[in-house]
Amino acid sequence: MSAVRKGPSLSLKAREAITGWLFVSPILTGFLIFFVGPLIAVFYYSTTEWNLLSQQSRFVGMANYVDALTRNETFWDVLVNSLVFAAGLVPLNMAMALGLALALSKSRPGAVFFRTVFFAPVITSAVAWAIIWTFLLQHESGAVNQGLSIFGIDGPNWLHEPDWAMVSVIFTRVLKTVGLNMILYIAALQSIPRDYDEAARIEGASNWEIFRRITWPLLAPTTLVIMVITVVGSLKVFDHIYLMTGGGPQNGTMVLAFYIYEQGFKFFNTGYAAALAVVLFALILLLTIVQMLLKAARK
Amino acid sequence: MAKLELKDVKKSYGPVEVIKGIDLTIEDGEFCVFVGPSGCGKSTLLRMIAGLEDITDGTFAIDGERMNDIAPAKRGIAMVFQSYALYPHLTVRENIAFGLKVRKTPKAEIDSLVNEAVTMLQLDKLTERFPRELSGGQRQRVAIGRAIVGQPETFLFDEPLSNLDAELRVHMRTQISDLHSRLKRTMIYVTHDQVEAMTLADKIVLLRGGKIEQIGSPRDLYERPQNLFAAQFIGTPKMNIFELNGDFSSLRDHLNLPADAHYCGIRPDSFEIVNDGDGILSATVRLVEYLGNACLVHAEIKGHDTIIIEQPVGTQVRAADRISLTTSPNAVHAFAKDGNRID
Repeated sequence: MSAVRKGPSLSLKAREAITGWLFVSPILTGFLIFFVGPLIAVFYYSTTEWNLLSQQSRFVGMANYVDALTRNETFWDVLVNSLVFAAGLVPLNMAMALGLALALSKSRPGAVFFRTVFFAPVITSAVAWAIIWTFLLQHESGAVNQGLSIFGIDGPNWLHEPDWAMVSVIFTRVLKTVGLNMILYIAALQSIPRDYDEAARIEGASNWEIFRRITWPLLAPTTLVIMVITVVGSLKVFDHIYLMTGGGPQNGTMVLAFYIYEQGFKFFNTGYAAALAVVLFALILLLTIVQMLLKAARK
Repeated sequence: MAKLELKDVKKSYGPVEVIKGIDLTIEDGEFCVFVGPSGCGKSTLLRMIAGLEDITDGTFAIDGERMNDIAPAKRGIAMVFQSYALYPHLTVRENIAFGLKVRKTPKAEIDSLVNEAVTMLQLDKLTERFPRELSGGQRQRVAIGRAIVGQPETFLFDEPLSNLDAELRVHMRTQISDLHSRLKRTMIYVTHDQVEAMTLADKIVLLRGGKIEQIGSPRDLYERPQNLFAAQFIGTPKMNIFELNGDFSSLRDHLNLPADAHYCGIRPDSFEIVNDGDGILSATVRLVEYLGNACLVHAEIKGHDTIIIEQPVGTQVRAADRISLTTSPNAVHAFAKDGNRID
């Protein structure tokens, strides 16, 4: 009788688990240090009155939250600005992305060129993009107003009138980011089998009915993903505001992320800024959960 | 009523011509099968009839009316796709009702037509399920239901059974045949499976390289193939072909073949193994395949391709045996040098 040789001391499952953990350990380490760590720290700082310059810290409990939510009127204006920015940007971005994707998803002459044109701003430096648009939107000498003047339109002072400033930052931000959503929609459209469209055409459906009854429902999972990332992105917007309007005029474009930056790094109210960051985190979390619940309800 | 006529129909993609002039008439109520090897243009031709591909040249008419520029929905056709093309977000009932809904059919009529279709196809208990919850055969029936509910004059089937397992394929084949008997509508069916073609068709259109090689009944194609391609495409295993010049020249006299015959074809089941010296061909057995109802004997004639002989299961031949073969002159097909049949 031949003896059975002794195998490895660890089971196959245990060895595979160790290998798996080794593979994910670099990203896991980075995630813990640079994401989870600061997140916990922010929760802690939000309960302190901490001046970054003097390095003096004092536990104040929920005082920062109470201050933001009940005493500070600017906070509510800023929150409304953030919601207005998101409410303007998200539908415009998604509608434009879908329209572009529908126009450019099929292989037709020029499709690749225009996909590149609309995607290029996504990989362009945000600073360069904002500076260029700041020039283009100047009141007297900006190319936009000069173009409008050809048609006899006297364009507004885009970045220095409160209402137009918000419109301007939304529109230029949409142009900067729409390419990514367009690519996501194109990928989704191209994954819909051509047979569905052909079967529907044979059955007498018009292009609009094919879109409404087949394409749009089949895009729903992609639409949800795009909505979540666009909403989150719009609430986190900072660089664009910082570079184009600095939150002005008259706080007209002061959004939450920029306000947090000002409180933390301009006025050094670090504890208060941390509390505002937690509020922003909670807001984004809440909206994401609502969107996920909507998706689950649809199923 | 739906009599389909194609006159010199062509299809090109840029400089590449894929359909090279098709002349074909499909009578009202006929079951016509397009068969041929991959890339022969059978699906393209079907899609041109459906209106999903433009016709580059020629005329396609239904009941005498030119259809070249008529939208698919206005041709009175329904199509069953190879993939079934069931809308994944709609239930069975919604899938079947889709066409009626977009055509603004009154709701009561939709309900009645859908109920009739689901009953006919035994889908009654599945109407609220989604396609992902159905088996392949059930999906196929839903696809057929979606086609019949619009009461089209012509049904188009694009390899509808190719995604099913062998047993289900046989079952669905009989269901499609029953459907044709019941509805008595014109049906065009694309397949690369010659068994489907032979069992379903009133008329087979055999295609190769965008051209028709032969049109005829299944019996015509099997018993009187018009050229070497048809002879070898229809029939399993395929017909054995012998070139009559050179080593097989003696067959010309043995089988009373015409003087202009350049090739002769003998089907595997037309050979008989006889005693040594009584045959017209000698070969060495390389392999014997047992099929249950018959045996396939692969035999080599020195210096030539292997031939296949179908024998009863009780055959005593073994690999490496020398065998002598004969056949009846009536079972032999003669072909000219250009490959066309000689009668």
